[in-house]
Amino acid sequence: MSAAGSSRRSLLWGVLLVSLLTLAPLVALAWDALFGGALQGVSLGSEGRLQVGNTLALVAGEGLLGGVVGTAIGWLTALCSFPGRRLLRIAQLLPMAFPAYLQAASLIDWGSRAGWRIHGLGWAIALLALANYTYVFYLSHETFASSGRRLLEASRCLGVGPWRSFGRVALPLALPAIGAGVALSAMEVVNELGAVRLLGVPSLSAGILDRWQAEGDAPGAALLALVALAIVALLVSGERLLRRRSRRWNLSVGSPQGPLWHLQGWRAALAMVITALPPLLAVLIPCLWVSSGWESLRQQDGTELAALTLRSLGLALAATGVTLAAALLLAVVRRWTPRPLVQQLSVIAGLGYAVPGSVLALGLLILGGPIGLGPLLLLLWGYGDRFMAVAKQGLDAAFERMPPSIDEAAISLGCNWRGVLRRVHLPLQRGPLLVGGLLVFVDVVKELPLTLSLRPFDFDTLAVRVFQYASDERVGAAMTPALLIMVLGLLASAALIPSLDRR
Amino acid sequence: MNVNNFAAVPLLGTLLLSLVPPVTQAQEVRVYSGRHYSSDNAIYERFTKATGIKVRLLESNDSAIVERLRNEGRNSSADVLILVDAAKLAHATELGLFQPIGNAELMRDVPLSLRDPKGRWFGLTRRVRAFVVNPKLVNPGSLRTYADLANPALKGKLCLRNRNSVYNQSLVADQLILRGQPATRSWIRGMIANLADPVYTSDTVLARDVARGKCGVGVVNSYYVARMLSGQNGAADKALAARVRIVYPNPAHVNVSGAGVTRHATNRTQAIQLIEYLTSPTAAEGFAQGSFEYPLKGFGNNPILKRFGPFTPDGLSAAQLGAKAKAASQLMADNGWQ
Repeated sequence: MSAAGSSRRSLLWGVLLVSLLTLAPLVALAWDALFGGALQGVSLGSEGRLQVGNTLALVAGEGLLGGVVGTAIGWLTALCSFPGRRLLRIAQLLPMAFPAYLQAASLIDWGSRAGWRIHGLGWAIALLALANYTYVFYLSHETFASSGRRLLEASRCLGVGPWRSFGRVALPLALPAIGAGVALSAMEVVNELGAVRLLGVPSLSAGILDRWQAEGDAPGAALLALVALAIVALLVSGERLLRRRSRRWNLSVGSPQGPLWHLQGWRAALAMVITALPPLLAVLIPCLWVSSGWESLRQQDGTELAALTLRSLGLALAATGVTLAAALLLAVVRRWTPRPLVQQLSVIAGLGYAVPGSVLALGLLILGGPIGLGPLLLLLWGYGDRFMAVAKQGLDAAFERMPPSIDEAAISLGCNWRGVLRRVHLPLQRGPLLVGGLLVFVDVVKELPLTLSLRPFDFDTLAVRVFQYASDERVGAAMTPALLIMVLGLLASAALIPSLDRR
Repeated sequence: MNVNNFAAVPLLGTLLLSLVPPVTQAQEVRVYSGRHYSSDNAIYERFTKATGIKVRLLESNDSAIVERLRNEGRNSSADVLILVDAAKLAHATELGLFQPIGNAELMRDVPLSLRDPKGRWFGLTRRVRAFVVNPKLVNPGSLRTYADLANPALKGKLCLRNRNSVYNQSLVADQLILRGQPATRSWIRGMIANLADPVYTSDTVLARDVARGKCGVGVVNSYYVARMLSGQNGAADKALAARVRIVYPNPAHVNVSGAGVTRHATNRTQAIQLIEYLTSPTAAEGFAQGSFEYPLKGFGNNPILKRFGPFTPDGLSAAQLGAKAKAASQLMADNGWQ
């Protein structure tokens, strides 16, 4: 056991390195802000207060709307039976394939062609909820399906109606999972840049970038970034607290088997409408745009499109590999070394998710520029930093569910840690690894600010090309690369189907 | 999927990546560009054909590119920096990102007001901040200067792009220099009081709303309307654009896109060759033609631009505009320009 302990110590160094790498760009930013400019007269100002207020309104509005929609669909697809349920459950993965900035750009342009002005906070909340409710759906569905049926059966046997059993049993059970989903989606909202800017909502993420780059006010930008980080830190701790509670719930409730609530007549129709609406909208928006702007769709260079797709694909694959490997390291060490330090490092390593991509890009440039680090390396570093939390999320939860006695059995049979990892953990964690990998893959394909700021010469990707055309207001030309992003996203989402179906 | 498949993921990724970056050529020039018009590529290709020098391109937005170059410093592999706004060019000059080139040909081809006096950057194209007018709602003859936009007669008829637009920031800087701070402040307040709708985030969307009569007059770069008129955006946009008139205020605020050799350029000779080519009368016209901008001198041969008629530049230099950029942005923020 002592030999195993010493070789595990090298793993600890690995964790330390990963955490340092993820934290370094943020430290560089803070350093630059504090010592790069004169720190005087820094204040939020009326504009800063407006940006903070808007971001809070976005978080609250999106949280409420996305939370209600995600929970309703999670409950309906997990515990009720109605025509098309399985298909509609899978369809909930569709909105993930469409980046919010693309949805906003196409909706604004389509509306403007039709004579409607799509603008302002309300639309921003609606579009962000559409893009992010999947988090709530995914997590609440899991809880409803795994822990709800038996208890609901019991409550209904005791004469409680479906609505009251939802309100008094199912909802309290799933509340931690719903809260965790809302917290995750809220983090996406805090660092969303493209969509809110297009819709004319002055937000924190845009304010940080404007103060930094357009106005050269680094301390002011750092102040806004601190506010954003505080909001996110609240969300992260809320999410962790809720996850801990949900784990306890899961232990106390047993088998997932039980009868479904059969919906008939108008109830079944309503359930179908509710579950079908968000995925339908997600697909409809780009379709409307394509149909209204079809004629401006240019004949595009096929080889160039292929090169763009290949680069997006290659970058996403490489980033997925790097991120998964680091996330696996963190999760394994966390399992084997229950020291508080390791737990804290693991949380820190996930912080990059909370930082707007454009801010992270600045931090990486400050670090990598002066030492001449290759742009591709810097880009992969950025992706890993940004999406570590996405990969870690599922892995941590899966490792928590796996009893430690399995590891002990393997070790007592003479396995060293590499053996345990290779012969026990990896085969058992295949599912969560695959899901985490696919989520990272989809995110990297959609990612814009890091790619735009850090890529090498002659290295445009699909997302970059879409941005260039769209920011030059050539929406027609942006269409084909945008469609290709969606195809890649859809292919990856399709690979998630089995994980959803199993439950 | 077993363990080996997972190991294959990063491996495959690296393999793919290693395939993609292009091979290095003996003669090349590396360009960071804030322009993103697909028509630019044709000009770069013509340059390569004429000189044998390959152009390697990285297009991004102005701020991101400046920040990158600044942090890369000595290690940067960029030889040429192209930016699309006078204030941004002045800012990059101030940061010391360009090196001066005392080239007689460039000094001759590029008028003094459209380049850095010390030869650190040179204008490539001109764009004009113009009025787009719906003649059914507002008499185009009643609009002569930017000051007219604050006229209370336009209450509920004016549409503006947001403060974030560098073109608007440079316009306000321009007015700050020409008319002083008190007049500019009341001008901004007057315009904000005249707004028909919250500020826009896109010139094209704004022009469409003028055509439909939601606004009587708006402020846009004229090339967006020219592009709609050309049919590049489709027949519906072409029909809409036919309903509006472009009016050039007199004098007009003229913005530039420009290029300079970076301070640490490794391919200095090739970089100068490229800028010479881009500013030469034929190529500059081609650069402008594809994107409906104006060349450095004259008004070009484009029939759509001819229909817009000539304009009289107010002659302010980019350095002047750049010096007032920050004050302009602050003034806009303080007076309700979102």
